[in-house]
Amino acid sequence: MAPSHNSIRQMVSPLLQSFRSLSLTSQNVLPSTSRFFTSSSTMSAKSDKKKSVDPRITLIRYHLQHTATPRPLKFSRTRALRHWTIHRAWMLARRKKLEAEELELQRMYQSMHNTMEVLRTMDEKDGLGRGKEAGRLYRVALEKKGIFGQGGVPIEYARLQTDTPGREAWDHSWTR
Amino acid sequence: MSGCQKAARPLAQCLRSSQALCQSARAIRLFTRSSRLSEEAVTETASFTTTPIYDPEAVTSSKEEKKLMKTGVFPIGSRRRRAAIKTSENILFEQLPYQCFQEARKVLQADREEKLQLIAKERLRISNLIATDPKSINGGRKFKQVRLDSMRRHLEYLKIQADINDPLIKKRFEDGQGDMTKPIYRYLADRKWRDYQRKIIVQRIEQLAVVPDVLPFFEPTAEVRLAFRQKNVQPGEFVDSRISEVSARLKVQVFDKGERLVTVAVVDSDVPIVDKDWFASRCHYLAANIPLSPTETSLPLSKATEGQLIHPWLPAFAQKGSPYHRYTVFVLQQKPGQILDTATLKEKIKRDGFSMRRFVDRNNVTPIGMSIFRSIWDEGTAGVMQRAGIEGADIEFKRKKVVALKPKQKARGWEARHASDKYKSLRR
Repeated sequence: MAPSHNSIRQMVSPLLQSFRSLSLTSQNVLPSTSRFFTSSSTMSAKSDKKKSVDPRITLIRYHLQHTATPRPLKFSRTRALRHWTIHRAWMLARRKKLEAEELELQRMYQSMHNTMEVLRTMDEKDGLGRGKEAGRLYRVALEKKGIFGQGGVPIEYARLQTDTPGREAWDHSWTR
Repeated sequence: MSGCQKAARPLAQCLRSSQALCQSARAIRLFTRSSRLSEEAVTETASFTTTPIYDPEAVTSSKEEKKLMKTGVFPIGSRRRRAAIKTSENILFEQLPYQCFQEARKVLQADREEKLQLIAKERLRISNLIATDPKSINGGRKFKQVRLDSMRRHLEYLKIQADINDPLIKKRFEDGQGDMTKPIYRYLADRKWRDYQRKIIVQRIEQLAVVPDVLPFFEPTAEVRLAFRQKNVQPGEFVDSRISEVSARLKVQVFDKGERLVTVAVVDSDVPIVDKDWFASRCHYLAANIPLSPTETSLPLSKATEGQLIHPWLPAFAQKGSPYHRYTVFVLQQKPGQILDTATLKEKIKRDGFSMRRFVDRNNVTPIGMSIFRSIWDEGTAGVMQRAGIEGADIEFKRKKVVALKPKQKARGWEARHASDKYKSLRR
């Protein structure tokens, strides 16, 4: 069986080869080209998915490695310690300044408050603060006459107060 | 490569090879006796005439480095750094001539002076309050005590604030040279611990359900590091039974001042009880009255004396088939002056059925630190159990099969149609 088979193959082989080459080329050209688009596109899509880098990472890399970006601070041990010392001192000084400013404001407010309290209870005639004239200076001090200019009105009252805004928000054509 | 280099390359190669030959010859000759003798003689003469002792901090040339390395000492840092050290005069850190730095130091020092004055004032206030009669204070003795406590807390705060801006203290702490008797170093260590390690242990307490299972509530305030021989154990790690056969070494860092006595308990909270179909806990180690302070952190469990020991170390073992066992190592702080009577505790407390809650309540101790490791049956467990004289290495636990109450129904519909092996891949 086997020898006869071999002999037949030997006889036919040149023909077969020519055929094979033909058929192979035809196979190679036609179906592969038709398959090329589908398979390659799917393959490349898969590989793209695997290889694709997050655009955010690309952007971060770009900006971090850009020549205009200053290099990260790298200090030696002692220099880092000096830096830390200066930073702490600066924070301390700034906090002290802020605290002092706040205290000064508090002091001023308290002093005004005390003054007003004295004025309110003071009576020029009767020393006890019970008479009609009690707190006269306080009332005078709190009078708001002329604070919006001579005969002026606050801006809130410049227009008549209504429940809803007017149909025309602003009359641009109006002249005095 | 330039033309000149190209031309010179064969020559350079030749030279290199000859050098190598030379070296190899020298290396070979080293083994012969005569040359060694001659070398010895040379070294002897060298030691007699000039003894160049190279400083590993300040060696700069490669020749000197090689000579130093031959003596077994390796140069420190980079050559550039060594050169810088060599040329610089050794100025102290505080005296470094940087203007801004010096100004900053002045600011910090002035602040420190202020804080020291405040401390002195607060101390005076406290001593005055102690001297006053509680009857003369509005609110009586209780109010006096509350005020004293708050003043002492404020004093501690001031002490830390006085030193927290010192760069040298920061440096010393980072180098691990901090003196734990001082409040500032204890504060820094506490902060560092709370930054990371405490978060981990708190997470383990939650994840491994230590809090409802072993204790009703627990807030760790001391750092506990666990190790078996050379092996450091991370909290919650699975430990091989052969490693946990020997008793553990603890490193307990407390962050509040003073000496105190502690009790150490190791509890296995997953002991299966077959009769009741339930789990119980077992005490694997118990020792009381162990002194502990911020400076004495080492606590090897095997070093407990006879008077301190209640139950010696029992190796961690998990029988085959049982789920992993949690071994919690608790450090319990005793009240000041409280000494537990170990002799009676030895009689009272049994290993099996040990309850941590009951122990804490009865003996009035406060848990301060915890560490945990897990164990599961492995190839060494049988040997460990045999060596420790524990029975039950041959037992294997198996889940009881729960019989369904609903009778089994014949497959219908889709299941029936896809019952053959043809659809095997579709089945779950």
